[in-house]
Amino acid sequence: MKTKKLISLLLIAALLVFSLAGCGSKTNEETAGTGENVTNADTKDEIITLKIYAQYSDDDTKIPYDYAVEELKKAYPNVRLELDIQAQDDGQKLQTYAATGNLPDIFQVGTSQIKAFKESGNILVLDDYAKSTGFDKKLHQSTQSLLWTEDGHAYAFPYAGNELVLMYYNKDLFEKHGVKVPETYDELKEAVVKFKEVGIVPLSIFAKEKWITTALYDVFATRLDAGGIKKLDEGKGSATEDAYVTAAEKLHELVNLGLLPSGATNMNYDQAASLFYEEKAAMFINGQWEIQASTEKLGDKVDWMFYPTFNENPDAKYAFSGGGAPGGYAVSPHSKHKDLAAEVAAFISEKYCEAKYLFRANPLLAIQLDPSLQPAEKFPPMMEKLANELPNITSTTAFAWGLTEPKYKVAIEDQSQFLLTPKYSPKEFITELDKALKNLKN
Amino acid sequence: MERFFSNKKAIAIFVLPTLILFTIIVFYPLIQIFIKSFYSWNGLSKGTFIGFKNYLRLFEDTTFKISIKNGLIFALFLTIYQIGLGTVLAFAASNVKTKGRNFFRIVYFLPVVLSVTVVCQLWLSVFNSEYGLLNKIFQIMGMDFMQDWLSDRNKAIYVLAFVNAWQYLGYQFALILAGIKSIPNHYYEAAQIDGASPLKAHLKITIPMLSETYRFCLVLAITGGLNAFTQMFIMTGGGPGTSSYTLTYMMYSSSFRAGEYGYGMAAASFLVLECLIATIVINRLVARERIVY
Amino acid sequence: MESSVKQIKNSKIPINKRRKPNLNITNIIFKGFLWIYATLSLYPIVWMFFYSFKNNDEIFVSNPFGPPTTLRFENYVSALTQYNVPKYFLNSVIVSLATVCLTIFLSTMFSYATARMRWKGQNFFRIFVSIGMFIPVQAILIPLAILVRDLNLSNKYLSLIIPYTAFNIAFSSMVLYGFLRSIPMELEEAACIDGAGIFTTFFKIILPNLKPAVATLAIFNFLQAWNEFPIALILITENSMKTLPLGLLFFQGQFTTDWGAMGAAMVIASLPTILFYIFFSNQVEKALTIGGAVKG
Repeated sequence: MKTKKLISLLLIAALLVFSLAGCGSKTNEETAGTGENVTNADTKDEIITLKIYAQYSDDDTKIPYDYAVEELKKAYPNVRLELDIQAQDDGQKLQTYAATGNLPDIFQVGTSQIKAFKESGNILVLDDYAKSTGFDKKLHQSTQSLLWTEDGHAYAFPYAGNELVLMYYNKDLFEKHGVKVPETYDELKEAVVKFKEVGIVPLSIFAKEKWITTALYDVFATRLDAGGIKKLDEGKGSATEDAYVTAAEKLHELVNLGLLPSGATNMNYDQAASLFYEEKAAMFINGQWEIQASTEKLGDKVDWMFYPTFNENPDAKYAFSGGGAPGGYAVSPHSKHKDLAAEVAAFISEKYCEAKYLFRANPLLAIQLDPSLQPAEKFPPMMEKLANELPNITSTTAFAWGLTEPKYKVAIEDQSQFLLTPKYSPKEFITELDKALKNLKN
Repeated sequence: MERFFSNKKAIAIFVLPTLILFTIIVFYPLIQIFIKSFYSWNGLSKGTFIGFKNYLRLFEDTTFKISIKNGLIFALFLTIYQIGLGTVLAFAASNVKTKGRNFFRIVYFLPVVLSVTVVCQLWLSVFNSEYGLLNKIFQIMGMDFMQDWLSDRNKAIYVLAFVNAWQYLGYQFALILAGIKSIPNHYYEAAQIDGASPLKAHLKITIPMLSETYRFCLVLAITGGLNAFTQMFIMTGGGPGTSSYTLTYMMYSSSFRAGEYGYGMAAASFLVLECLIATIVINRLVARERIVY
Repeated sequence: MESSVKQIKNSKIPINKRRKPNLNITNIIFKGFLWIYATLSLYPIVWMFFYSFKNNDEIFVSNPFGPPTTLRFENYVSALTQYNVPKYFLNSVIVSLATVCLTIFLSTMFSYATARMRWKGQNFFRIFVSIGMFIPVQAILIPLAILVRDLNLSNKYLSLIIPYTAFNIAFSSMVLYGFLRSIPMELEEAACIDGAGIFTTFFKIILPNLKPAVATLAIFNFLQAWNEFPIALILITENSMKTLPLGLLFFQGQFTTDWGAMGAAMVIASLPTILFYIFFSNQVEKALTIGGAVKG
């Protein structure tokens, strides 16, 4: 008897749920229907909703987005944005959107995605819009290539400028232990040994993230060849060249001497940064956007150094790692309001730049801002120093997300992380990297 | 009786809804996997047919070899840990003499209930080399046994397998427990009379009677191991380097990180075949005959 | 019946007595092990609860394992405000319950036909459906998304219920197959002699015997659907249709994650699963005791 009850209960529950599900879908259809009505009556006074797929999860992404939305209300009172938060899923969701023809009107893309989307007709060519909105005029000389890709067309409005990889260090710790701030590889090696002896981690790194391991390798590679990891991405040169082999060997040598904290490849940002902030680590590697946080925690104890140079090539002081790459806000060619969406995309990108400058102490932007804009707080000294040195920088490379060949990107990311473990060998590193590059050419 | 069991209409009603649903939602995409594995394709554009090239490349790929090896380690680890320990715990929780057996029954299953993200974060903290609990315990005990658990190319996979085995032990435990409870008591009465110890009774009666359950548990552990993904995804990202890749992770990485959907599908096809063969072999090996009480 | 079980097991004592000294030591070690393992299984829940009141520094660096030094209720506030909790919660409940019902309904029928009836291809189709257990979900996401679009299911509850059911059927059918194979054939023989048809037999005789298995599967399927992430991420684009696991995305940034608020969200999301489990697990326990009586 009991079973009967159980079964009927289950069945009733099922019915209930299905009718609910039915209702749910119905109301949805209705709203979808009304949405269509709006688009048909495409008049100036009607409110137009644009779907936007963007990052929105921490201060670095929320503040610019919220600022842009506020500004948009003023400039385009009839436009509403419907935000779809971007997942940390290696672009899986965006790709599915594209495959099913559901692309949002406006979406953030990285360098490697532009290529695949271009080939499959899923990204709008923005050349005309860049000109009509005047976005192209606002670019710096050095950021032209962030809008105009290799094929001469524009696919996304960039906001990030030529950002850089910096090596931060704790001045106090160096002084206290009588270690010279390294300018050459030998001095760096000496510093590693000395810090290791007194139980201080020489260099903290959140090597669970593979882009930062790529950046560390790139720092070493650019000591010998200013092209760094970007040169290989462009199909010039080969991984077996001396510069790349020596860079791997030297980096691995330092790793074996104890350059990194134990278990570095499993450390996230919070753990690695805390080692540096609590003065358990002497150096820290991250992008220049770290300046604000480090200054907050360490005050005037913290500074950044030029990457130590190698004897083989002492002139590499101003060859930097990092740099900008095409990417930013793109527009779907299937959008019902693509002209408007393109205009809005350009607008949002510009407002992102403003927000980064005003509230995030970040002057490395894609476009020039109105000189009347003044940041809320004075820039930290490290940023002043960087701004002074910017004109001297002779070359930059790319962050991992700025590489154009996804296959190569995966290989260099995985392999550079591997290289940071003592049991891996530089030989394996070079072999695997070479294999991946040869595969690209086939 | 024969007519009763071969009632064609009844069979159709019982079987067709499932088969139709399954064919459309699972099997049809599966066929796509196999077809796309013969293409060079980025997941969006048309793609070009390249025959067996993806498969030939697989066999030269170091990551593929690592992935296969890791899948086997994972499967073996799950089998030993979950079925072995699951059996022992289920015996204890089914024994009327065990005090607090209802408590054990609920508690041993609890890790399954938690979200996998929580569990992975917990074990990440435990195994962390700098701040982790495990190394701290070794330190307190004065043992010089500090380890880079998750950053060592040879150890990471075992740690990940352990985390998976630990969390999902509850499934196997619950299944074995249910199996034990449905064995009629008169078997134990008979063993009683023969003067067998409880352990002997379990070895002679319970385990053989559970062959259906064990067959299923074995399939679950082995295919689960070969298919492992979430732990790698959350805890190591396949790292350090590529050392904790499995076929599923390799498929994910190739398809979405590297934009080589076709190549990823070749790895996926290989994985599905591997699991299918494992299932068929297990079905052949473990006793087939119907148990009659 | 229950008391006779006890009697039988109790009557074993005299036999054991002969080896008592030896047994005692192993017994104590064994008991100790049971309790240690129980602690190890219970701690994560406590840990999750602690975690939900901490900030990133406490979670990762200063105090990963102990109770929180200050109770940061703001984690719960931000979890509740950033997330449209009531709506997501309702969505999760609807999707999970529907998946449980549909899966159990379909898989009991299917496994009955494969385990006990006689027809050509019964083994083939059984293994065919079991393929669902080992298809890497990530591999079929894109084909599945296209399928869901073509079936006009996008952004409806069914767009999750149907794939979840299709995937869970494999697991459920395998469990049920094992159970059905171990039920004595006399059940149907008796029913047949009484002149009952196959459907009456299935619903009135077989299903009651499957109660423990069905309750166990209700738990498994519920957990599966409740915690599922990759399919929901890809198939749900409408904010109003999101399930709870998708809400966790609000806290994960490219470079930083607000782990405390995420922990609070996870506590909120885990409570129903724990309650659901305890309720159904007790059902299994009761059913098994009764089921044993029927067979014994």
